[in-house]
Amino acid sequence: MAEVQSQKEYFPINSLVDVVRARRRGLEMAQALGFPLAEATKIAVVISELGRNIERYVGQGSITVTAHSEDEKYILIVAQDNGAGIPDVDRVMAGGYSTSGGLGLGLSGSKRLMDKFDINSIAGVGTTIKAVKWLR
Amino acid sequence: MKNFEASEIGETLETFTVVQKLEDLLLVSVPRDLTDNDVLRLRQQVLRDIRRHDSRWVLLDFSLVDICDSFFGRFIHSTAQMAKLMGADVIVAGLQDAVVETMVELGMTLPNIHAVLDLDDALALSREYKAQEQEAGAIGSDQGESESAGLDALYADSALDNWTEV
Repeated sequence: MAEVQSQKEYFPINSLVDVVRARRRGLEMAQALGFPLAEATKIAVVISELGRNIERYVGQGSITVTAHSEDEKYILIVAQDNGAGIPDVDRVMAGGYSTSGGLGLGLSGSKRLMDKFDINSIAGVGTTIKAVKWLR
Repeated sequence: MKNFEASEIGETLETFTVVQKLEDLLLVSVPRDLTDNDVLRLRQQVLRDIRRHDSRWVLLDFSLVDICDSFFGRFIHSTAQMAKLMGADVIVAGLQDAVVETMVELGMTLPNIHAVLDLDDALALSREYKAQEQEAGAIGSDQGESESAGLDALYADSALDNWTEV
């Protein structure tokens, strides 16, 4: 496979259209890195879930997608906002819990779709979520 | 840039030809890159068109869709529930394998929604039901009772309210 240079793209999230744009581009980046379609689709869905959370709960933030292709290949998604923070991360990650009438699958499901999923949420400061999926 | 299509679809969905009528079926070709608001607008249009065409079946064709997240899954489920209240059953077609794998791993299940491979299968399903309905209507003295009996036969293992999360 041809060597692809590491690539990092920053997506400001201020609207639902921004979410669609970020997930579409994330799908393309994952496929370009060599992920099979099913795996690239999972990455796109995680970007969609994290982007929606920013749009819905905070209103603005950003998603950065890195396609890392040196030594090892992986996709890193970093979702960042300066919102109120997630009050009960453990409950949210257990699944089936939502304050917005949703299915409560966004974060708990996203974790299942990725290899690594870290939430750093501080009340009044904001939330940063880092998610990684390695190409095997 | 290609990605701007999403907003264009959002603004023009009202006049976008994504919904067509075929026999008892309302054909809905779900576009790709819909925003959450587009999805809700599409659901409104589907419900309105069920009423307009007096449709017995709604076929949601997902052939074009390659990213299906939890909001989308919820859309399928809620559309099915709402359509049911209007007397229409939802059939899902054209779900790609990558989409299905992602939906299931995300934790979404659509246990009792009819899923078929393509339009031909959807038509076959609706015709089969219609034939059963007519047969039951010819035999039974009470039309209403026969109709529901036919429905039960076809949906022996089916109840749309059985939406589960894992």
